[in-house]
Amino acid sequence: MGIVWTKNPLFSEQIRLYSAVFMIEKSHLLPYAQRPDFKVARANELTGKDRRFFRFLEIVPGVAAWSTIIGIVLASIYIPFIAAYFIIAFSIYWVLKTIFLSYHVRYNLKRLKHHMELDWEAMIQRFVYQDHYHLVVFPFYKEPREVLEQTIEGVLAAKYDKEKIIVVLAAEARAGDQAEALARSMETKYGNAFGHFLVTIHPGDIVGEIAGKGSNVHWALQQVKEQVIDVKNIPYKKIVTSVFDIDTVIYPDYFNCLIWFFMTVENPHQSCFQPVPLFTNNLWEAGALSRVMAMSSTFWQMIMQERPEKAATFSSHSVSFQALYEIGYGQANVVSEDSRIFWNLMIANNGNFEVVSMSYPVAMDATTAATFWGTIANIYRQHRRWTYGVENWCYIVYHFTKNKSIPLRKRWSVALLQGEGYWSLVTNPIMLFILGWAPIFLGTREFHETVLSYELPILVRNLLIVAMFGLVVSAVISLSLTPPRPDGHSRFRYIVMMLQWIMVPMTMIVFSAIPGLDAQTRLMFGRYMGFWVTPKERVK
Amino acid sequence: MTHEPQIQILTRKHRSVFFWLLVMVFLITLPSLIFYTTGYRLSFENEETSIVTTGGMYVTTDNLEVDVYLDEEQVERPRLFRSAYYIQNITAGQHRIAVQSPGYQTWVKELPVDSRVVTEVSAFNLPIQAQLRPITAYETATGTAVYFSTGTSSTVFRDATSTEPFVYSSSTATSTFQLNEEFVFVESLFGTTSTSSKSVFDRFMDEVSRFGFSTSTPPEATSSTSTTTKTVRGDIELLDADGELYAKWQGSSTDIPYYFCVASSSRASTTQRYGEHVAVAIKEARASTSTPLLIDENRICRTQIKLDRLRQDVFYYDFFPNSSDLVLMQLEDGIYVTEIDDRSWQNTQLLYAGTNLQIIVENDVIFVQDGDQYFQIATEIESN
Repeated sequence: MGIVWTKNPLFSEQIRLYSAVFMIEKSHLLPYAQRPDFKVARANELTGKDRRFFRFLEIVPGVAAWSTIIGIVLASIYIPFIAAYFIIAFSIYWVLKTIFLSYHVRYNLKRLKHHMELDWEAMIQRFVYQDHYHLVVFPFYKEPREVLEQTIEGVLAAKYDKEKIIVVLAAEARAGDQAEALARSMETKYGNAFGHFLVTIHPGDIVGEIAGKGSNVHWALQQVKEQVIDVKNIPYKKIVTSVFDIDTVIYPDYFNCLIWFFMTVENPHQSCFQPVPLFTNNLWEAGALSRVMAMSSTFWQMIMQERPEKAATFSSHSVSFQALYEIGYGQANVVSEDSRIFWNLMIANNGNFEVVSMSYPVAMDATTAATFWGTIANIYRQHRRWTYGVENWCYIVYHFTKNKSIPLRKRWSVALLQGEGYWSLVTNPIMLFILGWAPIFLGTREFHETVLSYELPILVRNLLIVAMFGLVVSAVISLSLTPPRPDGHSRFRYIVMMLQWIMVPMTMIVFSAIPGLDAQTRLMFGRYMGFWVTPKERVK
Repeated sequence: MTHEPQIQILTRKHRSVFFWLLVMVFLITLPSLIFYTTGYRLSFENEETSIVTTGGMYVTTDNLEVDVYLDEEQVERPRLFRSAYYIQNITAGQHRIAVQSPGYQTWVKELPVDSRVVTEVSAFNLPIQAQLRPITAYETATGTAVYFSTGTSSTVFRDATSTEPFVYSSSTATSTFQLNEEFVFVESLFGTTSTSSKSVFDRFMDEVSRFGFSTSTPPEATSSTSTTTKTVRGDIELLDADGELYAKWQGSSTDIPYYFCVASSSRASTTQRYGEHVAVAIKEARASTSTPLLIDENRICRTQIKLDRLRQDVFYYDFFPNSSDLVLMQLEDGIYVTEIDDRSWQNTQLLYAGTNLQIIVENDVIFVQDGDQYFQIATEIESN
């Protein structure tokens, strides 16, 4: 095993301090989590062979994506017949994939609606759950008061004993005095409404961290352990931790639903609990583009709910505090901290960790901005951040080669499935909507004279039209998930909400493939990304 | 309503069955569609099911309103605003393609279609009755053309249609009208740009007599063939030589238009597929050093095609406006448009009949001087 950290004396000293702050006590960590490279984020944190291997892994996704794209262009020029056959195969694959995924969405919608109708409070009465606490961590940066208030009001409206709810409002020192003042005012307003209400201020100068939600949560979890959990002597196994984005508004039965799953799963401390994020808080105020992107993200999470073996945690989710404690609260040095926490847990638990699909919603914000171009920029940046989750693939493959306690089959299947996911995210839309026509424009003269050359665009077009029927399903489902129309909004909006789905081919390329390619290319060249905070606003 | 959560997600077995079902669909669909897109079709003729290979034909037209017929059967029109027809499922062999529309001259060609290959062709249809926009010296305040002699106008529009209204003036007084600036411009065009009154053949004979009967030594003469005029559009050059008119390809072999090329085959086959004249042209080109053949793996391309001048003298030629495939020719009895594509035959259509004509193409607009009258010739029938 390589020694972690670089040979730079100054950096090594910083790391020593970092270790002094965070890694003094490791005995509570799971054995694998005690490795110095357990929380590796980048190749330059390693040395020797490990560093070269991790760097290789960072290069692989970008090379795979670019090779595919360039390969199809070159194939279209030099072997257009083969390229055409491949495009036909890919178009059929896409249609069948659409059918396959639409089926998952429909099934999950059925479960979601059913779960929303249940009386979870009544259902958990058969369990002894009263001694279980809900720890809710809300990291925030510079979001306005209205966002915080709506979020905390959501917790306040929850049908659960408020004395058993610990709210942590995790502010950033980087955000300045205003953010801290806002947190304190929230504490004043809501402090007495819950069992405990803690405001934490994440210092901006901790070496080894990157600024962002992950490092803030990491800090907040340590603080709440020291200042509340240990003081109140609450058993870690009796705490279910929900790490929520600051715009997350829970439904009243969320904590009851969560407890139900926590009590009924086989290994509650080796499970993450994933709700369905509905980006509906501001759906009526958001533009068509924002709505399509928001609903598309929701649909993807609904699909993942039915394929938990392929899923990792995303955005707002819940997990046992004991589990977090055993891995040192996740990582403070990565961008995609919401998924990384799952991989930390899975690898530290030798593969024995799973995502439990709750099929119960939490409401969040669709990404918007004051202007159209601002919205586009924000959506792009947010999706680039999400697709930078490809850094997790490097992490899991790296540790899969180290942790032989994880079954080999599981290691291979997870690595391949995740790799295929990141590859297809970037390449599939480009292949489908742009490169599908490449042989027609780039092919040889011999190819252009063939029936195949003329039939190819007709066939691809027809297959895409068939695939687009999936959009009709999407439009209908999205309407069923849309909150009731507020006053002041025309009924005409419903028509726009149906028609907006024709933008999907464009959004798949502009807000999925291109930011994904952007993120993978940055990782490939070692130009590591930082955390970009998605702006949240409310109509006052 | 069930009072328990429906916690059962889609089971692995359920998803697996669905997945493998879709895989089966994929494995069946893929070869079927690949065979289909490469031209294979199921044939149910003669109460027997068999697999046949087909080809296609790609027909571009210059007019959205035309009807296309393949072997006397009308082809379904393409989608709105498209002027190209892709005709599928054509059995290999010779096929007649006709493009026609009421009021327009018919374009016809007979071409071979090969299995799994698409034969390209470009059709054009000119109005049967010439469409003229009068350009008169004077016009009314609203811009309407004015003719001062009813006799002249009735002669001019005897075999033509005016695209715009015009008025007759029984008086020759011009005070109530305004001078037409376009007339001044067009008049100056014909004044400064002299179109030769000599035909291509006359010029050729002049050259022959200059070289053949002169007693003095001709300056720098290396060949009895002379080229008097060249017109170039893109990589195609129009030239007259030896009293004939040619279209010559000057670009690379990869970009050469399809109509310069025929499939590599025997002379007899070429004659049968494209006509004797094409086979002869290829034979002559094989022996020529100035117009070599471009030979690929499966085709032979001539670099020069002789244009059909209807056995008449050519007084003027140029590319047809906005086209590098059509040639505008002023012949003895009128102005014609012919296609360079000589496979099977060249379609040549009359644009404007007349013997005392002058023609100028300026900015892709055809101006004609017929006697003392000026017109612009429209190439489509304007709908009112």
